[in-house]
Amino acid sequence: MLNKKYAYRLELLMILSLLVFAVLIGRMAYLQLYKGDYYYRLSEGNRVRSVRILAPRGIIYDSKGEALVKNEPGFVVSLLKTNEKPDLAVIEKLAAIIEVPPEKILEKIKKNEDSYEPVRLKSNLSAAMVTKLEEQHGELPGVFLELQSIRKYVGSELAVHALGYVGEVSEQEITGGQFTELKVGSIVGKAGLERFYDKQLRGKDGSFREEVDVAGRTVQTLDKLPPTPGHGLVLTIDAQLQRQVEKITDEHLRYLRSSGFAPNANAAAVIAIDPTSGAIRALVSRPAYNPNLFVNGISTRDWQAINENPFDPMANKAIAGEYPPGSTFKIVTGAAALETGKVTPEELIFDSGKHWLIPMGNAAGEALGWINFHRALAASDNVYFYEMGNRLGIDVLKKYAAQFGFGRITGIDLYGETEGIVASPEYKVQVFKEDWYLGDTFNAAIGQGFNLATPLQLAVMLSAVANKGEIYRPHLVAKVINDDGRLLSEVKPEKMGTLPVSAQTLELLQKALAAVAQEGGTAAQLAKLAVPVAGKTGTAENPHGKDHGMFVGYAPSDKAELVIVAVVDQGGYGSVSAAPIVQRIFEYVYPHKNAAAAVKK
Amino acid sequence: MEFGRIFKRLDYVLLFAVFALTAIGITLIGSATHINVVSDDRYWYVQRQSFFAILNMALVLLTLRFDYRLLEDMSKKLYIFNLIILLAVMFVGHTALGAQRWIQIGPITLQPSEFSKIIMIVGLSAFINKRVDVLDSFWSWLPVFAYVFLPFLLVMKQPDLGTSLVFVAILFGMMILCGFRRKYFVRLFGLGLVSAPLLWTVLHDYQKMRLKVFLDPGLEPHGAGYHVIQSMIAIGSGLVSGKGLFGGTQSQLDFLPENHTDFIFAVAGEEFGFIGTTVILLLYLLIIYRGLNIAMNATDDFGTLLATGIVSMFVFHVLVNVGMTAGIMPVTGVPLPFMSYGASSLTTNMLLVGLLLNINMRQQKLTFD
Repeated sequence: MLNKKYAYRLELLMILSLLVFAVLIGRMAYLQLYKGDYYYRLSEGNRVRSVRILAPRGIIYDSKGEALVKNEPGFVVSLLKTNEKPDLAVIEKLAAIIEVPPEKILEKIKKNEDSYEPVRLKSNLSAAMVTKLEEQHGELPGVFLELQSIRKYVGSELAVHALGYVGEVSEQEITGGQFTELKVGSIVGKAGLERFYDKQLRGKDGSFREEVDVAGRTVQTLDKLPPTPGHGLVLTIDAQLQRQVEKITDEHLRYLRSSGFAPNANAAAVIAIDPTSGAIRALVSRPAYNPNLFVNGISTRDWQAINENPFDPMANKAIAGEYPPGSTFKIVTGAAALETGKVTPEELIFDSGKHWLIPMGNAAGEALGWINFHRALAASDNVYFYEMGNRLGIDVLKKYAAQFGFGRITGIDLYGETEGIVASPEYKVQVFKEDWYLGDTFNAAIGQGFNLATPLQLAVMLSAVANKGEIYRPHLVAKVINDDGRLLSEVKPEKMGTLPVSAQTLELLQKALAAVAQEGGTAAQLAKLAVPVAGKTGTAENPHGKDHGMFVGYAPSDKAELVIVAVVDQGGYGSVSAAPIVQRIFEYVYPHKNAAAAVKK
Repeated sequence: MEFGRIFKRLDYVLLFAVFALTAIGITLIGSATHINVVSDDRYWYVQRQSFFAILNMALVLLTLRFDYRLLEDMSKKLYIFNLIILLAVMFVGHTALGAQRWIQIGPITLQPSEFSKIIMIVGLSAFINKRVDVLDSFWSWLPVFAYVFLPFLLVMKQPDLGTSLVFVAILFGMMILCGFRRKYFVRLFGLGLVSAPLLWTVLHDYQKMRLKVFLDPGLEPHGAGYHVIQSMIAIGSGLVSGKGLFGGTQSQLDFLPENHTDFIFAVAGEEFGFIGTTVILLLYLLIIYRGLNIAMNATDDFGTLLATGIVSMFVFHVLVNVGMTAGIMPVTGVPLPFMSYGASSLTTNMLLVGLLLNINMRQQKLTFD
């Protein structure tokens, strides 16, 4: 008998069985006790899908309440996350409809492998795509349409350099620390106010969590966190004025090119600003671009068109274009000379056409004879201001230039502002490794040579002169409002400082600037406007092409309400290229003699 | 034997373990097939499994009237019958999940490889019983190996690697019992290693993939490795006391595939936790213990061999099935005895328990009652 003779063999089998069960129970302890929390989390990850609810971005209004940037309902197509491999047949069918190559779709799916959220494949679908997707819904399992608000720039190019545009946050921006809190696919401001006020505009995305089965079907909603809408902005910009300024600028540039006077006059910057507060009423940079192209990722063709334009549509020339200030700088030189007593208003200086120390003369070679300060500024005499430079010396000139705001950013609420350059011996040594000569001082005194300024710096400089020496920081946003329109915060005009010049000197300057736009001045054509205008022409030498033309002006000349600066890249004489732009803007703002206060709301 | 006597001599401990596991199984099948969710046919699986459980008990009771020793004489015919049926499956069986395992007889589909386990245990017991005194040298075992190899090959070709390995497990238990020498085991093991590449070539692609995935479950997280990963998640997430009956998200939301058949243990792990899995495993251990006890007390070698074969089969099934759900065994279609849904499997296991009971009640000389 086996079992009686060899009972130990059955015992051996029992021991083997015990071993087997010890291993199995041990394995259970490992899975359920030791690693239980880990597997519990995995099971929750399987079961729970969290879906982001995009926060609507804040609306941007102009100063009169017209919406410049808003959100429009659009459709985005997404693919549900499942544990199955993506079905290639479905992907290919989908790819054909939304016109995205299948490899791109697979790449997006792969990038989102770790997430349980649906993969967004394409936003802002066309109406035809939406229709096709809905028709073929049955053949596209896992594919679904979601509503998503699409940023809409109502006026297309209107005020684009102030508004900027939005786009999907790049991986670089997330890893680079700028938007660490954001997820791939989030929409952020990429330029202009959209970027500067991104935090306020963006709001906070909400989410809801739902329980799903293996096929990705929703079983139940677990909880919901509503999104916080972004704040709206009310700008200082007056859309109507902005439209006019853009129209006038474009028309005049076209005229300059077609008349043959300035065939390369494609780029320009025009700023309209309230000197009493720094509020910018209009800001134009030319050429421009359509921000709507960027909202869903710009096409290669569109991007090439923008990128290959030699006049750089993306650059905001009003804050980043650097030009020699030219004769507009004579305001600074004149203020310094009067204030330091190097010249009296009455003193006559003889312009023989050339300065007696260095044979440097007037642009057109004219000689004005005996002239005082008033006449010198009105006629933009170079010899007179060479002499002022001679008397002041470059160090004093440099000091005054800095006090008028040159050589540093104004601090406007936009990124990308440039500093410009204030001419100085230190700068020349540093950059050119050459000594400073009197001729350099002469050039600096009339805004040529090493001096560089942005149109915005010119605007701030003139605003200070027009506004009794008080300097206000230029700004574009007047108010931040809630999504229901309630006021959250108001931007108070910020006084940056006061010009170091006496009221007397300012009055002399203002009178001379007013004479510029009168008979005998360099911008005499402005004399026929309904409102008295003060201003200064400028022509900046350009070694690479035709000179840049500029005009800075304000009106009314006795009580400034509006400062306008126009700079036309390669436009030639300021009186021809820039002054007419300013003239037409003032014509628009002040159509009648008694409508002087029209600019005020 | 009369029913009155049968009831007196039943091994109620063994019966308790079997009933408990069957009941737990039916409950979990209910959970896995969503009887908590409103739908017209939600009770279908539970009703069918319950029906067969009751039917099988009646069947077992009936078999207990006959002496198990009768089987010894029928063994040769059964063996040949088995070979014919297995061959028949190859030609007229239908295919499911890439394997030809089922055969249709009227309204029922049978899985002959399930029943061939009984025949193998009975046949092999009889075959060895005849030679038990001469089984000494390695070569004396060759006829036994050949006896197992023929059906082994047929089942593997279905292909049903799991069941064919069950035959090997049954043989292994009997080899231990009959004193197969340790050095012979070493020799066999060496032979197995050498022939492993050969065996690899006869495997189907999906079987190869399963084995590869077993070695590296991350190989194809959405493909072949998916079942095992989801099963481990289900078991692990049950923690100490489980998510509660019908509370298992892995099985209720269908992340766990085949959850009412081969992966029923993962449902147990998820819904009843470590306490539940331990209780279930201990119930199986109780069956093993009672089985070996019956082998120990059998009055003839045929009975001892039978009981040992049955126990070996149960151990193998539990090891491979639970091991598979826990990620320590490759995926083979081996159901969990008494718990996995499936009439063929349930009937086979019940009949085998019937055999154990049969051996048990005929162990004493009962001339005087």
